[in-house]
Amino acid sequence: MNGKAARGRFIASFLAPAFALYGIFVLWPLVQAFQISLYQWRGTSDVVRWRGLENYRELATDKVVAEAVGNNLYMLGVGGLLIFALALLFSHAVLANSRLSRAFESIALFPQVASTVVVALLWQFMFHPQFGPIPLLQKSMGLGEFESGWLATPSVALPAVTVAFVWFATGFYILLFTAGLRQIPGEVNEAATLDGCQGWRRFASVTWPLLWSIRRTAVTYLVITVMNTFALVYLMTKGAPDRRTEVMLTYLYELAFTNSEWGSASALAVVNFLLVMALAFGVRLLFRRDPTAART
Amino acid sequence: MKTARTALLVAGLLLVGLPLLWVLVASLKPSLSVISDPWGLPMPPRWANYGEAWTEARISSGFFNSLAATVGTLAILLPVGSMAAYVFARYSFRLSGPLYALMLGGMMFPIFLVIVPLFILMRQLSLLNSLPGLILVYVAFSLSFTVFVMRGFFEVIPEELAEAARMDGAGHASVFWRIMFPLSRPGLTVAGIFNAIGLWNEYGLALVLLQKPEVRTLPLAVADLSQTQQYQADFGALFAALVIVMIPLLVAYALLRHRLHEAMLAGAVKG
Repeated sequence: MNGKAARGRFIASFLAPAFALYGIFVLWPLVQAFQISLYQWRGTSDVVRWRGLENYRELATDKVVAEAVGNNLYMLGVGGLLIFALALLFSHAVLANSRLSRAFESIALFPQVASTVVVALLWQFMFHPQFGPIPLLQKSMGLGEFESGWLATPSVALPAVTVAFVWFATGFYILLFTAGLRQIPGEVNEAATLDGCQGWRRFASVTWPLLWSIRRTAVTYLVITVMNTFALVYLMTKGAPDRRTEVMLTYLYELAFTNSEWGSASALAVVNFLLVMALAFGVRLLFRRDPTAART
Repeated sequence: MKTARTALLVAGLLLVGLPLLWVLVASLKPSLSVISDPWGLPMPPRWANYGEAWTEARISSGFFNSLAATVGTLAILLPVGSMAAYVFARYSFRLSGPLYALMLGGMMFPIFLVIVPLFILMRQLSLLNSLPGLILVYVAFSLSFTVFVMRGFFEVIPEELAEAARMDGAGHASVFWRIMFPLSRPGLTVAGIFNAIGLWNEYGLALVLLQKPEVRTLPLAVADLSQTQQYQADFGALFAALVIVMIPLLVAYALLRHRLHEAMLAGAVKG
């Protein structure tokens, strides 16, 4: 019996199917994405011309790219603050472990499980100028109305999309922060209470620092989710009105599949990827020191 | 303090629940009263909306295409992913570390980074507008996560079970198929449900790779429906279509909520 050779053959044959599929459909296109970004390639013709970094230079001066990155960062900043505030608030409420809190916990994550298509269309209807509950409430409270609806009014379209995003995403962060709060040992909170440290002060000086690693995970996740937003925006507004809700990936889709500018689209994909990497790296730097470690 | 907490939870329940409830109510109303009487209850409920959404609006074909794409993907993904995960979990060999890192690398970048070259590749292979083509792509892009999850499950299966089979003269492969693969059922359930939800909802890849209406999956069919002129007035059927997308998800979620919560947290807290 040739055990060693048989073992080698077994390992190779069990890895082969996975790596074949992964190599062809994931790794090979990944290599090509970087390559294509250096060429001028119109999807409509076979002419492929070397352009070096010209595609990138064009994107750097493209006003739409600037607008899209700005909108991504708006969703990250405003949406992120809202999500974190809500998640912290609700995770404290969920800890009580009553029947009500369990009911809330079970429903809070559902928007995340329901598809983004459902969330996008649902919120398109919530803002619908003819029958959307939000414009109707707004009118009945005497707050006026937006003639063409929220999603078509430049000043409020992006906030409206951000609201939909917050509704979609918050559940996951509630789950995350609840898990973090449950990890804090009971003795820590008891000791704080004995020292007369309660309520807001306990939150600021005990809970918040102890949630350090959870916060780092949460911010990293948020960066990745927001910068890779596509379906929600594409289905709610397609970037309209006047690109006021355009995000990087909706513009990428337009470049690639409406304008057939494959070179520029790939360059934008690379820029998006590098930006996410840079932001994730920034998050690591920001959270590089464990605030609880120094105090032992 | 207690009343504040109760008020907060009730507000949270309403914030998440009311929009969903509103869709459900609207799905049972005639289209006209969706607009004329937006706060009214559907009396009597108009079940015909579901029939119309199902038959006239390609929702049924979308539903079956999505079902085929999801089931087809899992049928390839779970065995193929498990085989690789098993080797990474139980065998040490020279390239094990780098190959595993390479496999996990797939979780690091967004699908849109490769969307253009992938489209070009699929066109060259004549696999555009084809469900089998979409399934191959889905398998490839779900492998990283699946291998990662399944490896954890294979690592904790006791070695003695495999030992006994080997004593009986079973080869490496037959130990896997007869003993290890069946024993990893809890892992297969987690990986299966997690992937199934993602696949059922997948929009970006399907949008790019499927352009003919007859092959389009459910998310695409519903999105198309909301944008076709004819149905922009038929709101009842549109809301019914949204409910049809959500039902399988609600069922899966209700059945496996705790498992799902754990799986989501495991990925996040470790990472």
